[in-house]
Amino acid sequence: MSALSRLPRLMRVLLLMGVLAAVPPLLTRVAPSLFSGLEANIVGTGTYLATAALALNILMGYAGQISLGHFALLGVGAFATGVMTSPTRLALPYLLAVPVAAVLGGLVALVIGLPALRLRGLYLAIATIGFSYAMEQSVFRVKGLSGGSGGIDVPRPIAGSFTFLKTADYVAILLVLLVAVWALDVNLTRSRLGRAFQAIRADEAVASSFGIDVARYKLLAFVLSGAVAGVAGAMYGGLVGTVSASAFGYQFSLLLVVLVVVGGLGSRLGVVIAAYVFAVMPRLFVDIFGEGIRGWDLIIGAALLMVAVRNHPGGVAEALRERKDKRTARRAQAAGLTDDPNPATPALPQMPRPASRAESTPLQPGQPVLRVSGLTVRFGGLVAVNEADLVVPRGQIVGLIGPNGAGKTTMFNAISGLVRPTEGRIELLGRDVTADPGHRRAAAGMGRTFQNIGLAKDLSVTENLLLAQHSVAEYSGWEALMSVRRAPRVERELRERAREAVVALGFERYADTPVRQLSHGQQRIVELGAVLVTAPELVMLDEPSAGMSPGAAENLAVRLRDIRDQLGRTVLLIEHNIPLVLDVCDTLTVLSAGRVIAAGDVDEVARQAEVVSAYLGEAVPA
Amino acid sequence: MSLLESLTSGQNLVLALVYGGIYGLLAVGIVLVYRGSRVLNFAQGEVGTVGLFVAYFLITKQGLPWWVGALGAIATAVAIGLLFERFVVRTMVSATRLSVAVATVGLLLFLLAVEFRFAGESPRTVRGPIDGNGLTLGGVVVSPTQILSLVVTIAVGLGLTLLLRKTDFGLGVLAAADDPTAVRLVGVRLSRVSAFTWGAGAAISALAVLLIEPTIGVFTPGFASELFVKGLAAALVGGLTSLTGAFAGGLIVGLVEIQVGSLTLTSTVPGIPTLSIFALILAVLLIRPAGLFGRAVASA
Repeated sequence: MSALSRLPRLMRVLLLMGVLAAVPPLLTRVAPSLFSGLEANIVGTGTYLATAALALNILMGYAGQISLGHFALLGVGAFATGVMTSPTRLALPYLLAVPVAAVLGGLVALVIGLPALRLRGLYLAIATIGFSYAMEQSVFRVKGLSGGSGGIDVPRPIAGSFTFLKTADYVAILLVLLVAVWALDVNLTRSRLGRAFQAIRADEAVASSFGIDVARYKLLAFVLSGAVAGVAGAMYGGLVGTVSASAFGYQFSLLLVVLVVVGGLGSRLGVVIAAYVFAVMPRLFVDIFGEGIRGWDLIIGAALLMVAVRNHPGGVAEALRERKDKRTARRAQAAGLTDDPNPATPALPQMPRPASRAESTPLQPGQPVLRVSGLTVRFGGLVAVNEADLVVPRGQIVGLIGPNGAGKTTMFNAISGLVRPTEGRIELLGRDVTADPGHRRAAAGMGRTFQNIGLAKDLSVTENLLLAQHSVAEYSGWEALMSVRRAPRVERELRERAREAVVALGFERYADTPVRQLSHGQQRIVELGAVLVTAPELVMLDEPSAGMSPGAAENLAVRLRDIRDQLGRTVLLIEHNIPLVLDVCDTLTVLSAGRVIAAGDVDEVARQAEVVSAYLGEAVPA
Repeated sequence: MSLLESLTSGQNLVLALVYGGIYGLLAVGIVLVYRGSRVLNFAQGEVGTVGLFVAYFLITKQGLPWWVGALGAIATAVAIGLLFERFVVRTMVSATRLSVAVATVGLLLFLLAVEFRFAGESPRTVRGPIDGNGLTLGGVVVSPTQILSLVVTIAVGLGLTLLLRKTDFGLGVLAAADDPTAVRLVGVRLSRVSAFTWGAGAAISALAVLLIEPTIGVFTPGFASELFVKGLAAALVGGLTSLTGAFAGGLIVGLVEIQVGSLTLTSTVPGIPTLSIFALILAVLLIRPAGLFGRAVASA
């Protein structure tokens, strides 16, 4: 095993392909009674279903977009393969048809993905089921395209004098393709692509705050998923020999959703297991209970499905994880380890800095990091922010305060690009960014936190710190998928920086813990670390002290000064904790009912009677 | 047939009304369950088909009167709906809605498997509720079942509206999805609301399938799978949360399907009515995503 793990990854993948490809043809020749065409067919069914489930898993499990029409994309791949290889049509080699099936599947998926930019959840579900139904009833029955309702032949490949006519031989090709898809999927999840997908699934606003172009990555998820589905379609075509429209009813798309959910959303291994179990189950039933079970097997299978989903809504993956968690908990108990009730509340450390980001963007003298002028945000008839001005000079901590509902967070959202201002102008580092989407502002040097924690909470601390570096991870999608050229090197750098950040935050023991399992205060610290890890010019913090213990909030003041003095960042702070604000801020802007009612030096503003009555109350000595 | 002929054809109009009403009924079932449990019930149509098999057994095999068969069909569907609600949906309150939807796919597959195991694929018929030739109005033939279908559609629509708008329980059903706490405070038990939506949805589905079967002719396992997709389209066009919208959506889908079908009867491109329904779905989603009658969903 150790010799094996020392091999380069590509060699390991090729080795696995070779071994898997050799097994079925050898087995059927050595022990034909054990592994005949029937058994090979089961393996083939499981293999193309596993590939299809991996395709849907990219979309649903990683990117969180639903599709109830994915089997229609298999249809696109299968019919494309038919048109390419059928002797009465183009009669091209099968291996040429596979990439074409992938490209067509990806293109059609792109078209389905377009409405997904505006739709979500149930609406997207119905649109995709409608797509699948229309493909099956209409497009797949067009004679010129698919040979009409009779279907189209998909011959199995011939390579030189060797034919893959035997199912066991053909299945060898399918297994190689599945390993290839699996390897690509692994690369995907370990790259900025996979992390961007997961961030979109977790929270689109958070994804955008990390510099992720949500629309672009959603479409990319559809295209990748469609391409893999197209390949699964090519696999399916050769396996059954003749494909016709009726094989692509929407019920089959529902079956794929079942496989992905039962396997566990986002779990590669889970969905592949689910696919093979589904393929082998009918045969298992007959082997165990005899021929009399036929007809009953489907009834029992469907009943088992209901029971399984009811008892384990998270699927195979969840069940496996629960077992593992229990085991680790037992082991931890045995070793006498218990959770530290008072986790580290470190002073904000020197955060590592990406090399690709210049020390500081040069500014003209007197030019602020952020200048907001005449900002108005209307929601229908409600004016949330009314002609507000705000200036954040470099190297300062600027407080944005005001009573609840004054429009502070709305102003934050307008500045960071989550909300479209009705009027006004936003300049970041001297550049007008009013028309820029949020992800571009993030990439230009604007980092922000959220009141309800801007992290992907199902991901671990390390993964979030990697995710946060999205905009400084400079390699292309191809490099990511193939894990070549810049990708491995940049990933190493990101990981190194994430590790340093984990150490700097004092979170070594939580490095691989999902953020959800941390306390609220700990999540805040990780969030702050995620914002700082790319060293943004402007750090925008939305109520960082909310939910912190008094001690931790005190510590926060030290940390905020560190951000300004040690890291040389500029801070815009929304905060309700007035003693903290008065303690750390250089200047203050006070919002009330959407208007700026006071702005200036902290002492000056705090003395203004208007502010005192609007917000601070009599009790606070200014 | 020219566009004008098709549009003014009384026969087309009657068919569009009959099919549209059935799609509307299925859509109402989908919307009820969605409002009650926030789940898309993929077995919505097939529950009705199982009822149809029961009706076939009672009416065609046993020679019992139509209404006995219809009652048997409805009772069967309601029983399935209630059992599923009690033993699956209610135990999954904290699960993601997607998982519950997958459980309804499980129910769909279960019902299909039962139909295939016990009935097989041979096509069957159930005779209509009323014998006779029906009405001929200005050259338009309307069968007795079609008349009954229209009457039942309207009656179910009015009855549901009255029940939901005029009774405390009904208001509880309407409010359940938006504000469960308020519903509990006015003394309506949420478990009852959930059970009602699944039971009523199943009953409506059985009625719809029973009423459309004589117009379509024969049925086999999976009879409702196409009806379900069109019911889904109707629900979406109507806005997913509105019962009135569901009926209106049904009529629109019925009109589009029948009109496009009659206009493209001789076309060599197959399935144009289906394509037009898909186009309708996309158009509604892109132009007015909240549907024609749905409330705009506030983006959080």
